[in-house]
Amino acid sequence: MHISRRDLIKLSVSAGAAFAAPSILRAQAASADTRVVRVVLDQLPSGFDPHNTTSANTGNHALAIYDMLFGFDSQRVARPQMIGNWGVSEDRKTYTFALRDGLGFHDGTPVTAADCVASIRRWGAGSSGGKLLMERTKDVSKKDDKTFTIELREPFELLIEALASPSQLLAIMREKDANLPPAEQVTANIGSGPFRFNHALAKPGASFTYDRNEKYVPRNEAPDGFAGGKIVKVDRAIWENIADQQTALAALQAGEIDLLLTCPPDFYSTVEGDPNLQLQLVVKGGQCMFARVNFLQPPFDNVKARQALLHLVDQEAFLSVLAPDPRYVHPMTSMFGNGSPYTNDENTGWYKKGGDPEKAKQLFKEAGYAGEKVVILDSTDWAQGDVSAQLLASELKKIGVNAELAPSDWAGIVARRANKGPAEKGGWNVHISSWPNGAFSDPLGCALLSANGENAWYGWPKNDEYEALRAKWAAVETMDERKALARKMQHLWWDFVGAVFLGQAVSPSARRKTLTGVISTDGSAPMWNMQKAEA
Amino acid sequence: MAGYILRRLVSTIAVMVMVGIFVFLLLRLAPGDPAAMIAGRSATEEMIAGIREQLGLNDPMPVQFMHWVGDMLAGDFGTSILAGRPVLELLSQRLEPTLSLAILTMILAVTIGVSFGVLAAWRAGGFVDRILTGFSALGYSVPVFVIGFFLIYFFAVRTHWLPVQGYVPMSNGIALWFMHLILPTVTLGLGFIAFIARVTRASMLEVLSEDYMRTAVAKGASSYAMLFHHALKNAGVPILTVVGISFAYLIGGVVITETVFNLPGIGRLVVDAINNRDYPIIQSVLILTSGLYVLINLTVDLTYMLIDPRIRY
Repeated sequence: MHISRRDLIKLSVSAGAAFAAPSILRAQAASADTRVVRVVLDQLPSGFDPHNTTSANTGNHALAIYDMLFGFDSQRVARPQMIGNWGVSEDRKTYTFALRDGLGFHDGTPVTAADCVASIRRWGAGSSGGKLLMERTKDVSKKDDKTFTIELREPFELLIEALASPSQLLAIMREKDANLPPAEQVTANIGSGPFRFNHALAKPGASFTYDRNEKYVPRNEAPDGFAGGKIVKVDRAIWENIADQQTALAALQAGEIDLLLTCPPDFYSTVEGDPNLQLQLVVKGGQCMFARVNFLQPPFDNVKARQALLHLVDQEAFLSVLAPDPRYVHPMTSMFGNGSPYTNDENTGWYKKGGDPEKAKQLFKEAGYAGEKVVILDSTDWAQGDVSAQLLASELKKIGVNAELAPSDWAGIVARRANKGPAEKGGWNVHISSWPNGAFSDPLGCALLSANGENAWYGWPKNDEYEALRAKWAAVETMDERKALARKMQHLWWDFVGAVFLGQAVSPSARRKTLTGVISTDGSAPMWNMQKAEA
Repeated sequence: MAGYILRRLVSTIAVMVMVGIFVFLLLRLAPGDPAAMIAGRSATEEMIAGIREQLGLNDPMPVQFMHWVGDMLAGDFGTSILAGRPVLELLSQRLEPTLSLAILTMILAVTIGVSFGVLAAWRAGGFVDRILTGFSALGYSVPVFVIGFFLIYFFAVRTHWLPVQGYVPMSNGIALWFMHLILPTVTLGLGFIAFIARVTRASMLEVLSEDYMRTAVAKGASSYAMLFHHALKNAGVPILTVVGISFAYLIGGVVITETVFNLPGIGRLVVDAINNRDYPIIQSVLILTSGLYVLINLTVDLTYMLIDPRIRY
C-alpha cells in the first residue's frame, strides 16, 4: 500500500485534532465560565420556603433570592438592609419603618409596605423568632406604599435583632405569596434579592441556577456579613449537588467547581498541598454537637443521671474523633455557644472537661439506675452523628450502663424522636444532633434552649424558674443587663442539665484561588460579592 | 402472536398494580416523615405538624391510597413533596442522563463483550482464553467506585483530558455530551463487558460442540463463517436475554456510577427521594420502571423470533 505525503499530513492533523479535542472543548467551556461561579453548598434545599423550615440549605437559597429588612453585620449588629429610615416611639411600643428607594421584585413589581406586612405575618406564624414578636405585637400595618408600623403590647427590645436574624430569616415575599397558609410552601421563588432563581434550569436534586438580578439596587455600604451592599459580581451562580465528597474534591481540583463549602478533614492536606486551592473559614461558627436526653423517661428523668452524662462526656475525646484537626474544633461549655456576647462560664466548674467515668458511675447509682436499656438514636447517614452515638454508647457501656444503639437514617430518627413514650414502646433516651453555633446566642429563638416541658424541643425539659428568666430576655434594655441575665439562666441550665454538649466543630471551605470575595458569616453562605479571575 | 403480546401487556399492568400496592404499603409502614424532612433539623413538633396537615399526611392510609390511585388513573403521577414539582417533570429531567448512559454502556458492552466471548470460545483453553477469562474476573470483582475514582484521577484530575463529573444535555452539543459520558460508560461498561463475554463464551462453546458445526468444518467453512454465520446466531438467544436484562437494569438507574460521576439520573433521584421520604417520586419511579422492565423483557422475547425462526408464540 502506498502512503503519499499528503495522506501522512492528513493523518497527522486528524490524529492531533482527535487528541486535542477534549482539551480544546474544555478550554472553551472554562473561558466562558469566568462569569459563572459553581459552588457546592452542602445539599440542595429540600424545600423553598424559608418561613416554614429551619433548614440551613433553604436559608442559603433564600439569602440569594429574597432581601431582608435588616441584616446582621460580622459583629452581629443589626443594620438596615431594605429599610431606609426607621424610628421608635417614646414608649418604645411603636416602630415605624420606611423602605428605601429602588426595591423591586423579580417579576417587575415594586416592593411595597403591604408585601412587608404580609411577609412579617407569615414569618411570625412559622418561625420561633417571629412567634415571639407576634406574641407581643398588637398590630402590623401599612401606612402608605413605602411605610409600615409594628405596634407592640409591651416593649420588645430585641425587635430589630429578630427582624435581622439569619436563622429562619424574614424573607420579604410578594403579598400574594406571603398570604398563603403558613404551612403551605411558597414555591414561586420570586423575591427582591440580588439573585433571580432560574426556574428553567432548576434541576431539583442536581443543581439550582441563580442569575444576577440586574435591577437590584445594593446599599452603598461595603458588604459586611449579611449587611451592607449585596453586589453580585458574576452573571450566574450555580449550586451543584455533588453527593460524593471525593468527586467534589476532584471537581474542585479540575476547576469544574469553585467552592466546596464543607471540606472534610481528610481532604485538608490535599487542599493545602494544591497550589490552586485554599482553605477558608466561610461558615465561621461551625456546628455545635449535642446530646439531648429524654427528660420524661428513666433514667434521665432523674437529674443525677443527666449530671452523670455531663461528667462522662469528655469533649476533647469526642472532638478528636469528630474533627481530627485541632485548628477547627473547640470545646463548648456555655449554653450560649462559643464567641457570643453572652458566652460565660457560670456554673461550669463542677463538671468542666468531663471525662470522669467514676463520678458518672456513682451518679447513675445515686439516680437509682438498675440496668434498664438506654436507647441512643443513631443516624447512620450522618457521619458525625453516627460516630458520636457509637462513642457515647461505648463510654456508657464501660461504666455499666446498658446502652443500645437504635440505628436508622435521619428520616427515621426525626420520626422516632417525636415519641415521648418509653424506649420499649418506640421511644428513646438520647438523641444526638447539631445546630449552628450562632443559634445559641438567641435563647428565645433557639428551641433547644427552652425548658417549657412538653412544649419544649424534643427531650421536653421543664424548669419554671429558668423559663421565667428566659421570658425576661426580650424586655432587658442594656447589653450589660442581658449579660447578667445570661449568667443567671446558665446557672439554672447546668443545674437541670438542659443538654450535654459534645463540642463545636468548624469545617473550613475549600475554594479555588481564582475565586475571591467569599463572605464569611456565622452560619450561612451568601453568594453575593464573589468574583472569579481567569485561571 | 397478537394474543401472546396482549396477554403479556395485561400481565404488565397486573405487575404494576401489585408493585404499586406493595410500594405504597411499604413506604407508609417504614419509619420516617417527609414533613420533618422539609421542616429541618431544629424544627419544633408544632411546625412539623402544620406541614404534615398541609401535605395531607394525616389522612387515613386508605384515603391517601385512593387519592393516589385516582390521580394515577387520570395520568397524574403526583407532585414531589419536597421539590413541589410534578413527578413526571422531574422524571423527564432525569431520563436523558440515564438513557444516554444505558445506551452507550450497552453499545460498549455488547461490542466488546460479544467479541471477547467469541474469541475466548474460539481459542478455548488457550492463552487468549485465559487472558480474557482473567479480564472477565477482574471486571466482575473490582467495585465500580474503585474503577471510577481511578479513571477520574488519571483522565480528569491528572491529565485534564476529560471532565470529572456532571452531565451536559445532548442539545448543548454532541461533543460535550459524549465527553461527559466517556468515563462513566467505561466504568460501568467493564462489568457488563465481563458479564456478556462470559455468557457469550459459554453459549458459543455449547454451540461449537454441536454436530452441525463439525459438519461445517468438514465442508471447509472458513473460521469467520463458522463463528459468525453458524455459531453466533445459534448462541444468540442467551446472549440476547442477558443484554435485555442488563439494559432494563441500567434504565432502573445505577446509583453508584451516577453518584461517583455526579450524573443526575433516575438512580440518584430515587435514592434522594427515599432519604427524604418523598413518597410520590418513589412510588411513581418504581411503578414505571417495573412496567418498563416487563416491556423490555417482552421486546427481548419477541426478538428471539428474529434470530431463531424455530421460536413461535
